[in-house]
Amino acid sequence: MANLKELRLRIGSVKNTRKITSAMSQIATARLRRAQNAALAARPYGERLQEVVAHLIGGIDPAERSSAHPLLEAREVAEGEEHTLYIAMTADKGLCGGFNGNINRSVLATLRTEREAGRKASLITIGAKGSGFFSRDEGLISKHAAPTLDTIVELSKAIAAEATGRFLGTAEGVDDDDRPNRVVLVYNHFVSVLTQEVTELQLCPLQPAEAEGGSSFQREPVFEPSRGEILEHLVPVTIESMLQQAMFNSVAAEIAARRVAMDAATDNASELIADLTLEYNRERQAAITSELMEIIGGAEALKG
Amino acid sequence: MADVKLDILTPLGAVREGIEVAGVEVPGIQGELGLLPHHESLVTAVTAGVIRFKEGNSSVRIAVGSGFLEVKEAGRVVILVERAVESSDVDAAAAKSARDEARKELDAYKGSVDAPEYRALHDRWAWNDAQVRAAS
Repeated sequence: MANLKELRLRIGSVKNTRKITSAMSQIATARLRRAQNAALAARPYGERLQEVVAHLIGGIDPAERSSAHPLLEAREVAEGEEHTLYIAMTADKGLCGGFNGNINRSVLATLRTEREAGRKASLITIGAKGSGFFSRDEGLISKHAAPTLDTIVELSKAIAAEATGRFLGTAEGVDDDDRPNRVVLVYNHFVSVLTQEVTELQLCPLQPAEAEGGSSFQREPVFEPSRGEILEHLVPVTIESMLQQAMFNSVAAEIAARRVAMDAATDNASELIADLTLEYNRERQAAITSELMEIIGGAEALKG
Repeated sequence: MADVKLDILTPLGAVREGIEVAGVEVPGIQGELGLLPHHESLVTAVTAGVIRFKEGNSSVRIAVGSGFLEVKEAGRVVILVERAVESSDVDAAAAKSARDEARKELDAYKGSVDAPEYRALHDRWAWNDAQVRAAS
């Protein structure tokens, strides 16, 4: 009989879990639309910006490109002195499938190979999950909270300023020895609701996407005040915008991953409940049968 | 009459997309800029300020942060700014006090004018100032 009670309690607890997971999945579904719309709304800005930058930089002789703006400069460094600053973007919360784990694992593998090859690698983490995972890493520079739709603009500015400050060596406490010569962002790219792709994106030195199908300008536009001065403004903004786009992607991908994970958890719970209920009923029936047998046995004994 | 086709885009979405206006005034980095149809192709930087144009019969004022402007052939104007808010949505009192506070901090600032802190402070002042001017 104890078994019956145990089963009943177990079913109750799995049902509670299912309530939670299905609520989380519903919340994620509702938030997903908002996040997707925000990511979609942000896209034209980012794309236009990329196009203008590509056009501006495309007009500069490749040999002089890296001197056009310090953030475009691919600095020559001695063998073994290469230093890459990674920015790992995770979420603040778990329960979203492989979302955080994929980033952490990929970054960890990269850090290891870089260091084994004798190159320096440092790290900025975004999101509590990545910060916790790498909290003992030797190259950890700073930790940030994960972006939300309301903080993306501010956060991307702050992180862009920090990363470019280090790259340029203008940030406080950065001497030439720990100046990274490359800044790479690792984030989850939102491919579809079902798939996220761990993506590496080089932020510095900035590599403009080649303008596809030539320029959208029919004639060479006038640059006011001058190409150089516009670049001066445009390059930092472009890096911010790349971070922003990545953050919009990451936020949408996190919510999508959570929805998928919670849907799967709800399905599993339903399956488990069905199995347990079947077992419970079987046990119950066995108990009734044995009780009946006892009563009949008793009655027979009295008759005789 | 040919019109200017205007897009105003921010990272948080388009404020205006593909609207047709007779002309538009933009705060360029080298001063106020008036754009009319058949303007020469142009790429320039935009500073924090107020964009003005007429939509139908009502004049529209939009406070914008810094960004870029490009004029393409066929009178297409694309303005990319880091943020934008319409004059009717500006909280004028809050913007005014934020501007004055930023001004005070700017006046008290003693560090280098190239430092990121100074630039952040100046951006804050300029953005709030733009909002105040859009609302007034």
